[in-house]
Amino acid sequence: MYVYIYDNFLRQKNFLSTIHSMEVILTDYGIAGKILRLQNYTDSKAVIEDEIKRGAKTVVIVGNDATFGQILSRSATCDCTFGFLPVGPNNTIAEVLGIPVGAPACTVLSRRRKEFLDVGWMNNRYFVSQLRVMPAKLEVIYDERFKVTAADKMEVVVCNLQPFFWKRDKKDREQRVVHPQDGKLEAFIRPLTKSGWWGYKYEEPSIFPFEEMIITGKEPFAVEADGKLSKEIKVKIKLAHSKVEMIVGRDRKF
Amino acid sequence: MIFQRSVPKNVEETNELEASERSHQHVQDEVETVVGPSVNVEGDFASEGNIVVKGTVSGSVFTSKHLTVEMGAKIIANVRAGSATIAGEVKGNMKIKEALELVSTSRVVGDIDVKNLKVESGALLYGKITMPGIEVGEKSVKTKTFRKAEDAGVQFAG
Repeated sequence: MYVYIYDNFLRQKNFLSTIHSMEVILTDYGIAGKILRLQNYTDSKAVIEDEIKRGAKTVVIVGNDATFGQILSRSATCDCTFGFLPVGPNNTIAEVLGIPVGAPACTVLSRRRKEFLDVGWMNNRYFVSQLRVMPAKLEVIYDERFKVTAADKMEVVVCNLQPFFWKRDKKDREQRVVHPQDGKLEAFIRPLTKSGWWGYKYEEPSIFPFEEMIITGKEPFAVEADGKLSKEIKVKIKLAHSKVEMIVGRDRKF
Repeated sequence: MIFQRSVPKNVEETNELEASERSHQHVQDEVETVVGPSVNVEGDFASEGNIVVKGTVSGSVFTSKHLTVEMGAKIIANVRAGSATIAGEVKGNMKIKEALELVSTSRVVGDIDVKNLKVESGALLYGKITMPGIEVGEKSVKTKTFRKAEDAGVQFAG
């Protein structure tokens, strides 16, 4: 049995036609199911566990990167197969998973090509797409072997499924992309150097693949994991191997 | 039809572009660990893939693949790598399995153990170089004394 979790933004008029055509295709394939709508305060884990008790075997996330992160960061431990139907803008994870945006994604879902995905673990919760530590004076220890520091502040981005986009500076038109690999987490460290009286300038990023990392700061720093913001003084990031069973496309990047 | 190109020029250009992009992507895929400028790494720095150093590393460096030390980068550590290209500064002993290339801007202080060495003019090097395939006790030129001219296989004219 399939359960579909729709993001709240899909109520907007401009997505109605896409959603309608997707529902028609899903009915044609015989994989249509119960539709749940995600609200701001919905605990996705409780909802999914409830549906699993009622016999759900596949939970399909319908939305964008934010929806994907919001649901899987909570319910990665649930005993079911996950599917993804990307709709609308901000869908970078779909590309990594080899799922086309819009109605063609239904075909990928119907083929049920399953893969186990690695998930990142941060202090006490999972993150699927990306973790970002806002610029602060930090010290990063990798796999308890070596330490990385910078003269001033630095920003740390840990990518699991979401690619890392960066530009040299504001004038740089070319957007550079680094695709994360499977089996490891990628940390992108961008130190900031002072430019002028007030401003800071981003340096070129350093890239470190790792399995375990500890970030410490002398003062509390802001951490954003799958769109959820918190303040921490010490963050331990680990890789949890093959945690999520996911339906992926043939053109996936791992 | 006579004057028509079999392959339009634009297509050729795009093909070249695609090829260059692909090669660039390939290089990007190969690069696994990058130590950026103004970043300091301390400790046992090890990686399974290629390493590119643009900042400072102290402690020890180990990779089974390629190590690139860019201009302005500094390594104060013992280095073990599959192969290496040095354009920056290295203070420490280096043990390279295959090829080592010292670019004209490189400064190396330490002993080197390598199979193939390429040194560009302008590179500064202070240390002992050891290469496999030659032993200290072995005579470099073998001499043989000939008793007769026939033994030597030399024929004199006249």
